[in-house]
Amino acid sequence: MNELRYEKPASAKEACALLAKAPGRARILAGGTDLVVDLASGRSTAEELIDIKNIPGVREIRWLPDGDLVIGAAVVMRQLYEDERVADTYPALAQGAEAVGSLQIRCRATVGGNLCNASPCADTAPPLLVLGAHVQVVGVDGSREIPLAELFLDVKKTALKPGEFVTAIVLPETSRSWRSAFDKIKRVRGHDLALVNAAAAFDPAEGRLRAAIGSCGATPLLLPEVSGINPGDDPAPISRRLAESVTAHICPIDDVRATAEYRQDMASLLCRRIVTRLLDPKEVG
Amino acid sequence: MKTYPINLTLNGEPVALEVPAQRTLLELLKGDLHANSVKLGCGIGECGACTIIMNGEPVNSCLVFAIDADGATIETAEGEIEDGLLSDLQQAFIDHGAIQCGFCTPGMITSARALLRKRAQPTREEIVEALAGNYCRCTGYEPIIAAVEAIAQAGAPGKYQPKPAEAPPYVGGSTPRVDGVEKVAGTATYVHDLVLPGMLHARIKTSPCAAARIVRIETEKAAAMPGVRAVLTGADLPYKLGLYMQDKDILARDVVRYQGEPVAAVAANTLEQARAACDAIEIEYDALEPVLNARDALHADSPRVHPELGQYSWMEGVFFPQPDTNVAHHQKVRKGDVAAGFDAAAQTFEFNFTSQPVQHVPMETHTAIAEAKPGGGVEITTSAQSPFTVRHLFCHTFDLPTHKARVRVPHVGGGFGGKAGIHLEPLVYCLSKAVGGRPVKIVATREEEFNTLPSRQGLDARIKTGVAEDGTILALEIQYLWDAGAYADYGVNIGRAAAYSGAGPYVVPNCKLDSKVIYTNKVFGTAYRGFGHLEVHWAIERNMDLIAGRMGIDPYEFRRKNLLRIGETTITGESFTEGHGHPEECLRLVADAIGWTPQTRPAEIVRPGSGRVRAKGIAVLHKAPAMPTFTSCSAVINLAADGAATVLISGVDYGQGTYTSLAQIAADELKIPVETVRVPFESDTDFTPYDWQTVASRFAVMGGNAVIMAARDALEQIKEIAARVLEVPPEDLVCEDRQVWAKDRPDEPLHYRQLVLGYTYPNGNAIGGPVIGRGRYIAKGLTNLDPQTGQGLPALNWTYGAHGVEIEVDTDTGEILVLQIASAFDVGKVLNEQQCRSQVIGGVVQGLGSTLCEKFVFENGRLLNNSFVDYKIPTAKDVPLSMRAFFIETPHPQGPYGARGVGEHPMISVPSAVGNALANATGHEFFELPLDPERVYLTLKHAGKEG
Repeated sequence: MNELRYEKPASAKEACALLAKAPGRARILAGGTDLVVDLASGRSTAEELIDIKNIPGVREIRWLPDGDLVIGAAVVMRQLYEDERVADTYPALAQGAEAVGSLQIRCRATVGGNLCNASPCADTAPPLLVLGAHVQVVGVDGSREIPLAELFLDVKKTALKPGEFVTAIVLPETSRSWRSAFDKIKRVRGHDLALVNAAAAFDPAEGRLRAAIGSCGATPLLLPEVSGINPGDDPAPISRRLAESVTAHICPIDDVRATAEYRQDMASLLCRRIVTRLLDPKEVG
Repeated sequence: MKTYPINLTLNGEPVALEVPAQRTLLELLKGDLHANSVKLGCGIGECGACTIIMNGEPVNSCLVFAIDADGATIETAEGEIEDGLLSDLQQAFIDHGAIQCGFCTPGMITSARALLRKRAQPTREEIVEALAGNYCRCTGYEPIIAAVEAIAQAGAPGKYQPKPAEAPPYVGGSTPRVDGVEKVAGTATYVHDLVLPGMLHARIKTSPCAAARIVRIETEKAAAMPGVRAVLTGADLPYKLGLYMQDKDILARDVVRYQGEPVAAVAANTLEQARAACDAIEIEYDALEPVLNARDALHADSPRVHPELGQYSWMEGVFFPQPDTNVAHHQKVRKGDVAAGFDAAAQTFEFNFTSQPVQHVPMETHTAIAEAKPGGGVEITTSAQSPFTVRHLFCHTFDLPTHKARVRVPHVGGGFGGKAGIHLEPLVYCLSKAVGGRPVKIVATREEEFNTLPSRQGLDARIKTGVAEDGTILALEIQYLWDAGAYADYGVNIGRAAAYSGAGPYVVPNCKLDSKVIYTNKVFGTAYRGFGHLEVHWAIERNMDLIAGRMGIDPYEFRRKNLLRIGETTITGESFTEGHGHPEECLRLVADAIGWTPQTRPAEIVRPGSGRVRAKGIAVLHKAPAMPTFTSCSAVINLAADGAATVLISGVDYGQGTYTSLAQIAADELKIPVETVRVPFESDTDFTPYDWQTVASRFAVMGGNAVIMAARDALEQIKEIAARVLEVPPEDLVCEDRQVWAKDRPDEPLHYRQLVLGYTYPNGNAIGGPVIGRGRYIAKGLTNLDPQTGQGLPALNWTYGAHGVEIEVDTDTGEILVLQIASAFDVGKVLNEQQCRSQVIGGVVQGLGSTLCEKFVFENGRLLNNSFVDYKIPTAKDVPLSMRAFFIETPHPQGPYGARGVGEHPMISVPSAVGNALANATGHEFFELPLDPERVYLTLKHAGKEG
């Protein structure tokens, strides 16, 4: 690893200025669980670390008066899933956060890092996608909000422009009444990256179901919405519809972790399982 | 280099220092603050060995920049100790046998402490969750979970009731580990922890190709880099290295034979500088066609991995390499008339099985320090399974007289066979010589542990069985092809042992067995706990169930009918006697324990539509130490002024607990409290007496015998002096609790303290002198195997065993959950019950790793999963719901108090028992390992049985 400089700015504006001063050479440090390994292994290089943890709000979970939930980018997984209100309101998000790594990792890994690392298998991505999350981005030219689905461009590639970084993730008030769930296929019961992960959210008022699949393409993928569903509907045909949609949209590959065939089938299975959990009255609650 | 000031609190002490931004908290704690308990296991946050508590939360210190800990409160296992006393949690770890090699122990304790802070009475589920981020390769997790549960049940600090002290006789009891305190305290020192004055750091550059000619190596740039003291390549090192076959270069010369093979090495002032210099070495390769599997390697037109095989030297008369082929060894076993056996058989079956290469995954990776001494000597400190074997092979390679070399082995963080023989020691010695004698240390990275250091060999097995109508096996024809990888190392001996054991513990009147150890261009194979037996029992014991199924016989009955019994002979002609033990009783115990139902192979559907089915499976096993016929062991016992004893021995206790058993033996024999027996955890060719190697489940047997003899020798000396003082013949003396008296005068005892350094009469005259007990043991009556027939007596003592398992299969995902496993072994004599159980539980879980998740993924000879990210081992979440161990004690005539080895056996036949249960659960037969979810699911799917 080359020599590194370290900065811990006290505001987002200051952080942006630092980022802009060293385009391509500075990296945002939040939890560091990916960054430390990437730098040590030489998979990526940096000249400067910009630690964002002193920026006001980035380590907080806040419920806004209008009902939106704002999750600071440096909120760690454990903070998220141990927050009872988050777990009650957005079960998929809590389940996804709890599925990340080992406890030691979950005490350091941040939501912002999990998303901005842009790994196809990020466990918080499918839940946040189905819940309609936006990310708050700041840059030298000010801040903007982008839908999470637009953040992911490719493996390890985001839509963030040079000098920009994510300060928070926002879940809209509208998804608060939705039922949601997350599930994951691994090689062991212990910590493992997802061979496939999936989340779904069901809006009982509108009869709409959204699902997202991870590890089955270059980015976590939000599937087209399935509509016209009533609570108490037989989950079987709905799972089938969703599974067909999964098959049509995902493009898993063979790699060291699994074959495309296994991923394909497990993606369908996860959809079936999650839909059953969301729609089957016996499974709900 | 720019540094930044940081302040933190470490175990209550404020610390202020300057750090560069890239330094990790692990490097800071270990390097700058000397926190011995914090261990580097992987450096990528997967293994948890570096777990610390930071601001109340457990974190992997390898994943935190030190600068990010500015202002933090940090706690390590060292902080558990208060006023010199262990915490309740540390004591519970000792009491519950939650420690073996000890390398993961401080991290485990730290994770448990972080949990107990948040919840004083956590549930089992919470405990498992809290511990699951810490890998342990020895204990099987269950004892660790039990230790934390005990603290949870105690409910409050100070309420935990420690286990009462053991009373004599100690043998057969559960004396706590002699190394327990230093391991829970984090003060046990491993080579990994050692820093010698003036020490330099080595890194290696490894081959990216599986097979290639080295065209050019450019080292000038690297040699000129800051801090670099030496750069070596194969051209500098004209030596051949090897355990049984001298086939390996220290650094590859002219050709590379596997991806990961060391090609160049650097010694530099810092690890960082050594790494940078390695990156700067340029190597040009001309790729050759790699030999990728054992079967292809046998083709006449296959490239030869070692075209010069015929010119190598090897242990002649024991191994039979075939020059101008890829066969490193061919072991034959011939018994009876196989053709006649098949002719007489009512039915003949033929099946093919494979088992995959896997890695040992010791928590401490291979590491060694060497210091080339003026005058041609060398001192080596290494994480190895035997100081004497390292010395022997080292001196052989460098043509050095033995007295020039000293090898020390302190605590070793797990071995499982992977640290047997010799590995990185010669390289660091050459580097030390190249830098003028400064000590040079190398620590294998976890990636190198997978890529560069040895693994278990793959096996391709073909078994043809002829069976009579009544289920009697009449003939076996077996071909075992071992994928040895690029070098023979232990592989040739595995091929040999797996041949004489290779028919399983059965009566086979007619047998033709060929076991071939075959070079390929993959990472080389070596001994791995069970030494070929897990692999061959996968084949043999699946074969038994397959045949039983096809013939409509209960697999239990089919086994029972054919198990070895008194009066029969093994396939190498050894008579089976009462002293061999009771394989059938092992089988009966496990079948009863899991509720095996005769004549049925029922799959029980858990819940309609759930996709989950349950079933049971059984398998038996046997293994004897696989070692040269003449191996030996010795022990010395010194007595201190107060009658305390120090047992000196060179076998290495890298977690098995043998030293504790030896302490029990010494205490019982010498009639002293076990707490007063010291077994130093450093074997040293300068100070501890000869032992061959700690492998093959032989140490408790051979070391036990040597210690019995040494203790009796010491006791005789004590009695001899006492007899003169008390003026009675020695045979009239009674010894107990460090005292000796004439049997008719119990009121006039002499204390050992009056005798062990010599007795002094009231007038000042002295007699006797310091008591030193001496004991030795050499394997007796063993013979080399006949080269043509394999007939002979290869085995010191067979240990028989069995597993019964119940599993639940999720047919929708292919995932197997082990509901229960019962294991039984005829150990002859339980020396330490807690250690025996720990060996079983740890071995079973390690066996489940080989069964359910562990595998190497190769792409054209390149290992794709050389890290814990993609090589998964069982965690605390992956243990069976229930594990039980049963012991039978049929004394072995040569064992200490009748004991047999049981270190490796628990791992053997775990895959076959699970495989048999899986066949029973799904109605589909599996022939390949591992039974990972993907294989199980896809196999069922393509068999048209998708749920």
